Amino acid sequence: MNAFVLGFSLALLAIVCLAQLLTLDWRWRLGYLSAIYLLAFVLITASWPLELAAVKLVSGWMATAVLGLTQLNKPESEVSDADDFPQSLLFLSMAAGLVIVLASGAAPAMVAWARQFDPGVVWGGLFLIGMGLLHVGLSSNVFNNGLGLLILLAGFEVIYAGVETSILVAGLLALLTLGISLVSAFLMQAGEGQRP
Amino acid sequence: MSSPLLWILSPALLGVGLLFYRGKYQWLPTLIAGIASLLLAWIAWQLPIGVVMRLGTLNLEISPSLVVLGRSFTLSRAHMPLLTLLYLFQALWLFGGYLARPGVLFTPLTLICLALLVAALAVQPFLYAALLICMAALLLIPVLLREKAKPGLGLQRYLQFQVFAVPFILFTGWILSGVEANPSNTMLVLRASMLLALGFGFLLALFPFHSWIPLLGGESHPYVFGYTVFFLPATGMIFALSFFDRYAWLRDADFNAPLLLAGGLMALLGGLWAAHERQLGRMFGYAAVLLSGYCVQAIGLGGAAGVQALFALLIGQGLAVWAWATALSRLPQQEATTPEGLTAQATSQPLTIAVLLLALGSLAGLPLLGVFHGRLAVLDETMVQAPWAALAALAGSLGLLAAAYRLLAATLAAQGQRAKGWVEEAQPADNSKASDLQHIYIWGFAAFSAILLFGSGLFPQLFLSAVPELAALFSQLVR
Repeated sequence: MNAFVLGFSLALLAIVCLAQLLTLDWRWRLGYLSAIYLLAFVLITASWPLELAAVKLVSGWMATAVLGLTQLNKPESEVSDADDFPQSLLFLSMAAGLVIVLASGAAPAMVAWARQFDPGVVWGGLFLIGMGLLHVGLSSNVFNNGLGLLILLAGFEVIYAGVETSILVAGLLALLTLGISLVSAFLMQAGEGQRP
Repeated sequence: MSSPLLWILSPALLGVGLLFYRGKYQWLPTLIAGIASLLLAWIAWQLPIGVVMRLGTLNLEISPSLVVLGRSFTLSRAHMPLLTLLYLFQALWLFGGYLARPGVLFTPLTLICLALLVAALAVQPFLYAALLICMAALLLIPVLLREKAKPGLGLQRYLQFQVFAVPFILFTGWILSGVEANPSNTMLVLRASMLLALGFGFLLALFPFHSWIPLLGGESHPYVFGYTVFFLPATGMIFALSFFDRYAWLRDADFNAPLLLAGGLMALLGGLWAAHERQLGRMFGYAAVLLSGYCVQAIGLGGAAGVQALFALLIGQGLAVWAWATALSRLPQQEATTPEGLTAQATSQPLTIAVLLLALGSLAGLPLLGVFHGRLAVLDETMVQAPWAALAALAGSLGLLAAAYRLLAATLAAQGQRAKGWVEEAQPADNSKASDLQHIYIWGFAAFSAILLFGSGLFPQLFLSAVPELAALFSQLVR
């Protein structure tokens, strides 16, 4: 992959993930998630043929659409009530900075394991995994949980694409992505109208 | 006709079909799925794989493999005992659902779930099983969540941990191929071992990743929870054995002691927490942690003894978990029941509570009951290899026994209070429904449970006779 395209994609990925972490509006968060899938697709094309990498993009966008439609169907009061995500900009920025430091430290070590890894792609994958873990760990809200798991899985797929080119695995991972979004959608709708 | 079509695709399609049933007779999907499961178990038991059979003018052969997207799903003759066992257990859980009432989605979703778990056992390379097991785990979430309830912390953690397991196991598979090429690279071996431990820690809810089990036990329907903590760990354990069977360096590396100790610790903590737990749903969860601990110890024993002990444990535990889950589902407050609640219900639910106590006794490993033989095999070998681990596991069993004693004492307290004539003053009895002594189905359930639990304890040659055949699936381990 062209070094400029890779560098630009990684920089964009960092900005998009940070913006997603700092925003409170679920619409923006899902918009950023679809951008993350687009950038993950770009990173995956470094290892996979375009048509196979497109599977990740399509499944990711479908998962985003499922979450978006579910949020749209929820009453606005429930959407805002349930969001217990931390709102301190300083805390979130520091947490994201920690993820960047960890990914930057781990990526060269991982590349040292196997030569087929591209350092930039591994950095992108590890960064996404870290950001996904942040989303999962910082909130007990079902929407954030699903969002975090999807980002984490996207990060894993970016790295795993470097070592595995099986169509079956691509299909199963796409199904898993859709499964997570559908289950999250189900859990978001559950107990609607009931107070916890 | 190929075996994956028969044991994976056909139950999955049936499950999908039953999802759309909206008829008046709610028992009909359960009956159809139960009969189909029994039929699939019978076919796995009786019909040979890869042999041409003549049915009149028709030649029929069940081929062992099916290629999907460049990878094969293989269910050979060696898989048949395992398929028979899995589909028999599936039928048991489906028919038990008539009493437990786990919800309309239980039958179709568990059928699809089992198809995915069988696919996980069949897929080649076997590492992809992690993805299929995760999908099966996701599929159970709609039934694990109670109707009109908000998802609790246990359910969310269950979802998270099952997804976390996938990257670790898939990465391990890739690293393991490197270790095979260069087994002297200790750093690579260490990394592979750590990733493997983390992956299976998340997948099998091993300590310290077990926290979702008691939480989920306290918030979901006991019957669905029982199904989840039996089928998912059972498939996961068999998947773990596949790693040991496939990679020679894993068998040669000395993982026995860490596995025995980890299993002992899990059994100890599970048993002690169960002894202190008041809510029966969470107590069930802690008991499941103990059961997983013993299974880990069985894997840690290594060799044919370990594999056979694992299958003996799975059969015994499967029956006891089913009896416990069904009995707990029959109680009015189900997973929220406390010992005091049992005291109140002892007069109206004597048969159900008797089965509950019997199942708990079996899970604790009491002699004459089903789990005892597998437990004895594990403890016997562990005592030789790692005495402290065996003692820890034994202490865990005693903890579960203490929990059983507490429940028994609470039940008998009601009898004492009634004899003194002040039961209503001490605890208002649950008069919302008539005594379960009047229900023929409960009598049938109690008799059937007693036959299964005592039968597997008193006649192991009958119930555990298939264990050597089941263990033969892992040809390298039992060699």
